[in-house]
Amino acid sequence: MPRILVIEDDEVTAREIVTELAAHGMVADWIATGRAGLEHALAGGYDLITLDRMLPGMSGIDVITALRERRVETPVLMISALSEVDERVRGLRAGGDDYLTKPFAPDEMAARVEVLLRRHQPQAENRLRVADLELDLVRHVAWRDGQPLSLLPTEYRLLEFLMRNSGQVLSRTMIFEHVWGFHFDPGTNVIDVHIGRLRRKIDVAGLPALIHTVRGSGYRLAPAD
Amino acid sequence: MRPLIDVWRSATSRLILIYGALFVVWSVVLLGAIQWESSRYLTHVLDEIVSQRMQYLGQMDEAHLPQAVDAAGTLDPHGIMSAGLFDTQGRPLAGNIASLPQGLVADGRMHLLPKGVLRMDRLRSDISARAMGQRLHGGELLVLAKDTSTIDGLGAIIRRTLLWGLSLTVIPGLLGGLLLSRGPARRIRAIQLATEPIQRGDLTRRLPVSRRGDELDVLAGIVNTMLGEIERLMGEVKGVCDNIAHDLRTPLTRLRARLYRAQQQLDGRPEAELMEACVADIDAVLTRFRALLRVSELEDRHRSACFSEVDLERVLQQVHDFYAPLAEDRGLRFVLELAPLVPLRGDAHLLFEAFANLVGNAIKFTPAGGRVLLRAQMERNGPRVDVVDGGPGIPAGERDSVTRRFYRGDNSRSTPGSGLGLSIVSAIVRLHGYALEIGDGDGGGACISMHCLAEPAVEAA
Repeated sequence: MPRILVIEDDEVTAREIVTELAAHGMVADWIATGRAGLEHALAGGYDLITLDRMLPGMSGIDVITALRERRVETPVLMISALSEVDERVRGLRAGGDDYLTKPFAPDEMAARVEVLLRRHQPQAENRLRVADLELDLVRHVAWRDGQPLSLLPTEYRLLEFLMRNSGQVLSRTMIFEHVWGFHFDPGTNVIDVHIGRLRRKIDVAGLPALIHTVRGSGYRLAPAD
Repeated sequence: MRPLIDVWRSATSRLILIYGALFVVWSVVLLGAIQWESSRYLTHVLDEIVSQRMQYLGQMDEAHLPQAVDAAGTLDPHGIMSAGLFDTQGRPLAGNIASLPQGLVADGRMHLLPKGVLRMDRLRSDISARAMGQRLHGGELLVLAKDTSTIDGLGAIIRRTLLWGLSLTVIPGLLGGLLLSRGPARRIRAIQLATEPIQRGDLTRRLPVSRRGDELDVLAGIVNTMLGEIERLMGEVKGVCDNIAHDLRTPLTRLRARLYRAQQQLDGRPEAELMEACVADIDAVLTRFRALLRVSELEDRHRSACFSEVDLERVLQQVHDFYAPLAEDRGLRFVLELAPLVPLRGDAHLLFEAFANLVGNAIKFTPAGGRVLLRAQMERNGPRVDVVDGGPGIPAGERDSVTRRFYRGDNSRSTPGSGLGLSIVSAIVRLHGYALEIGDGDGGGACISMHCLAEPAVEAA
């Protein structure tokens, strides 16, 4: 069971985070100040830290800088009311692994935590497998039911992201951020179109569908129920 | 950019020209009056001399008269005075007048003879004369004439004076005036340059005010006060907007989370659909708030130190790759035309966002079978990017309004959207020191372009 350290000075937000993480089967410890948070983080034993950008005394940036200086590489999800582009860049440069702007949908926060946890799991194999869907991470080739799939580069990256986080609901924003690397609201249903294309190649007729649409949230790649 | 002010059209130049013209007219009137008065006086004096001499000669006895008449002619070394004695037949008896002058009336009064008198020592007469003729007791006609060269000479002197006077005052006056008008023209030019960023929306700028405190400074001061007030009001309005958007986001996000949870729990039941619709509505509101705050954030942002060299071609290629599937699904041709471009200083993410917005719009407004063109080319001042759609176009009257927040044109009301996309694009383009231009595409659709300002606003700093 993953252990999460929640460093957050606002009690309501902290409770929201802890509850949501618990609902996703994680254990969360809440610390209200940057200094105490840093001590806990340095003590170790956590799989991930959610870190508020604005904390009294020691700021979130200070905490993460101190952590990275001490070679503590625990993944950090920065959470901030500051949405500005520069703030985001600053947070990620200081060593944050992802950046979430307040207010956030709790399920999106949990999804980001899970994606970060997966990303930091040691990858033993060069292959990802979900049911009869296979992806060769070295040769950039995919198979469904033993048949090779011809994927465009973007489709390959999209599939890799979905497969690395299989079972996880991924919002359109997260997909856009991870696959295309941009952080704004693309607004239109462009992501849906890209998913649709990938779906037509993977979920061919006669085989159980692997890419599922989760209403109001996003997409999930998982073996058929 | 409007053409800079022309020295010849400045208020000072105009005043100097008007003043110069008035000066010329006044000098002409004044010297004309002097000429008229003095020639009148001179005429009077000459007439007086002639009539006195006539009186003197008229009283002389007949024996001495021819001699005296001859003498009268020779006494005048300048040849101004002419005298002649003619018999009853009009033949000359004495004096230096060759023939009886035409138009002479022998009434003992002065008359102006425009053709003058023909003298024996001259071949022709071309100077008008004033002459007097008197019948003597023996029937002879005594004629005395004085040509008007003295009076004309005076007129010429006065005219020359006028000419010299005018050229010595008007030419240096005009030149001096032009030099004088250059100072204000230079200041107006400075004001004109200062207003350009203000016109582009940078309300933090102010007009230059010198220490002289003259009328230009008073005017600039008034404008600056107005700008300050406008900036304050804009700030307040924007602040209120941003605060509302900012403060409502948290409760809305919580509400959305609750509804979403309820929807999950109701999964499969008919109420779930209602919940889903609620979540979608809240999402739409949140999207709008996000966009609104994004515009504010971009507008408040100053050219950032984290700008770097951006490969615009690559950004446009990415935009094309990102939108090509959507365009294909809609049955559109999405064409990318790239000329080699020089890199520009900017933020690749923001530029992608801007062009993604434009291309997204273009795809939205182009009907199936149409074409969307993303085209980049080099212009003299820098790169220019056009996004041309095959939609209904943006009417000329709406072009200024479309970048305003929440503005939705008549043609776009039926299409989903927040009306904030172009505001975001405009803010990003402005942030980069470029201009956004809305025009007509080749196929009747809209053409939205990002291009360099005539004078690049992208300073090296």
